[in-house]
Amino acid sequence: MLARRWLSMVLVLGSVLLLIGCGGAEPEASEETIKIGAVYDLTGATADVGTPYADGIRDYVRWLNGQGGVGGRQIELFGADYAYTVDQAEQLYSQYVSQEGVVAFQGWGTGDTEALRGRVAEDEIPYMSASYSAGMQSPDDAPYNFLVGTTYSDQFRIAIDYAIENSASGSPTIALLHHDSPFGQSPLEDGRAYAESHGAEVIGISMPGGATDYTAELTQVQGAGAEFIVIQNVSSPAATLVKDVDRLGMDSQVICLNWCTDELFVSLAGGAAEGVIGASPFAFPSSGVAGLEEIREYAESQNKNLDELGVHYVQGWTTMAVMTEAISRVLDAGDEVTGPNIRAQLEQMSGFETGGITSPLTFTSDDHAGNKALVLYQVQDGLWVPLTDYVSAE
Amino acid sequence: MESGVFHTTYASDMALRRTPLMRLRLIVVVVFLLVFPFVANGYQLTLANQIGIYAIGAIGLNILTGFTGQISLGQGAFMAVGAYSSGLLAARMGMPWWLTIPVACTVTAAVGAVFGIPSLRLKGLYLAIATLAAQQIIQWLITNWRGLTGGVEALVVPTPELFGLRMSTNFRFYWVVLFFATLTTIFAVNLFRTKIGRAFIAIRDQDIAAEVMGVDIFRYKLLAFATSSFFVGLSGALVAQWRGIVNYERFTIETSIFFLAVIIIGGLGSVAGSIYGAIFMTLLPAILTNLGGAVGGSIPGLAGILPFIQQGVFGLTIVLFLIFEPEGIAKIWKNVKDYFRLWPFSY
Repeated sequence: MLARRWLSMVLVLGSVLLLIGCGGAEPEASEETIKIGAVYDLTGATADVGTPYADGIRDYVRWLNGQGGVGGRQIELFGADYAYTVDQAEQLYSQYVSQEGVVAFQGWGTGDTEALRGRVAEDEIPYMSASYSAGMQSPDDAPYNFLVGTTYSDQFRIAIDYAIENSASGSPTIALLHHDSPFGQSPLEDGRAYAESHGAEVIGISMPGGATDYTAELTQVQGAGAEFIVIQNVSSPAATLVKDVDRLGMDSQVICLNWCTDELFVSLAGGAAEGVIGASPFAFPSSGVAGLEEIREYAESQNKNLDELGVHYVQGWTTMAVMTEAISRVLDAGDEVTGPNIRAQLEQMSGFETGGITSPLTFTSDDHAGNKALVLYQVQDGLWVPLTDYVSAE
Repeated sequence: MESGVFHTTYASDMALRRTPLMRLRLIVVVVFLLVFPFVANGYQLTLANQIGIYAIGAIGLNILTGFTGQISLGQGAFMAVGAYSSGLLAARMGMPWWLTIPVACTVTAAVGAVFGIPSLRLKGLYLAIATLAAQQIIQWLITNWRGLTGGVEALVVPTPELFGLRMSTNFRFYWVVLFFATLTTIFAVNLFRTKIGRAFIAIRDQDIAAEVMGVDIFRYKLLAFATSSFFVGLSGALVAQWRGIVNYERFTIETSIFFLAVIIIGGLGSVAGSIYGAIFMTLLPAILTNLGGAVGGSIPGLAGILPFIQQGVFGLTIVLFLIFEPEGIAKIWKNVKDYFRLWPFSY
């Protein structure tokens, strides 16, 4: 009896070892494909927004391959869930780069983007992610990172401009309620300096993770007499916050930066979301801009509804589209598809039109933040409605 | 035919490797470790380096939790102290990287000893909460003491170089990790053959009895915290030097819980168990991801739920391990060895 138990245990151990051996050997790719790596958050802390973003990336690749690929070559996407843990992102990154030979990489969060920043520069792998921290903007610090969305700092500057224009006094106090992390604090210092030079004032208040009530933080906001509340956080805590704003009967105008400007925020906050303004570098499916048509068509061919897939799906799709555009330019120039060549083409990309999904994108060799403008939306009757055209900070 | 292992001299009883088979196994392991980097690719080396760093951290935690019986939820924070000490010394003061590592270990040991003071009055769950406080305090200091740490911004560590060679590549850093992991293992294994190590174990088994026997609880508990933190700081410093970027997000409470899981699965109070645990907890998710990638394409509809299945399997494996062998992988391995050593005449 015992003998059998140990035998089975040994078998299990043996098969585990075998699996380790086989782990790297499977995908049989032809020489012709262009390989891109990706990490997604499908099960981790940000899975709610990470999943549609990942779907956008994957569906774009399927769509593009269905159209014949880039310059006649198919894109082969290597991606897996990393559960928002830096270590797993590093494992997957090194697996895709050293085993599969990917030439570019799609990341996701601030943690993995920061952690891999040095490595991608060494490996010469262009890296795009959904983390728009201005710290990634300068090629001196992050030579292979590219930002397709407006930086958090620029988003905040645009929100400050809006606040100054619409303030009764003309010199408003603006409270930035932010996630307690690099992601959350990213726009604070830039925004504070910008506000000071424009006669406004910014106070930063961090939102403790996992809180179910923000009365204490909002009391600070009231105490400071802030006319505007800008939220740099993801949808769930942001929704909790605006519900508390509503409950306390505060008349401060709430402005969400891009990670709470989404459909999820409205559905979570319900009536409290009415009148909230949101800064979105990417067009909402409801905006009906021309660039959305091919996405909508593809979604419908897959029996999906773009309005349900939401703005983060569009975001993932567009980010991947920008990356493959650079690859296509490399091929047009007759060059080999390598990281440095993709980077060179990205740095020459000037005024690239995404069909209205974003403002025209311009990357240069000393600025990797390609997107300077965004649209301010407002929640009206449970829908995000455009309030402005593309606006940028002065 | 052997029916058991019998020692006829004290020397053979006290030896670390008591049987010829043990010595043979050691040789096999050493040869494997020396040959591995030459045949492995970058991905496998990344995994190996992660395992080595985790193993050092897990041995550190095991000294405190497994051997001395003092539960700690501050592992992540102590790793952060090691990582930031090493990173800051190299980045701000231009200290050579190999010198920052022992300094960082010493700093972490001192910090660990300070946060170990509550353990003199607190035990069990109460101590867990006190060390949780250490985690939060250190994390808060790192994110808010901007003048020193740069706050939430990532700290960029200069590339470590030795004799003009860039050491942070996976291949070269493998040797750095292997060197420190070997030192740590040899130190830890021998620690528990000394008076100090036995004092730790006495405190774990019955602290009052230990005190009656003349073990100075105050001194040895702090010593346990310091020794443990020394190695935890070492693993943090290695992360900093290898990755070149230090960010507090890598050292949160989740890291602390991860290391507790490593030593519980590997085997509490076992140096080898710490290493098995580190291997298991690194390879299992990697295997599940690769397996998922291989299977995902062939069965329609599976790809969408695959990440959740992987998470579920990961949890289930851990639970099953704990149910069938609560003493961890180290005990399973021991049972396997015992069984085969006496095969076919066990019992």
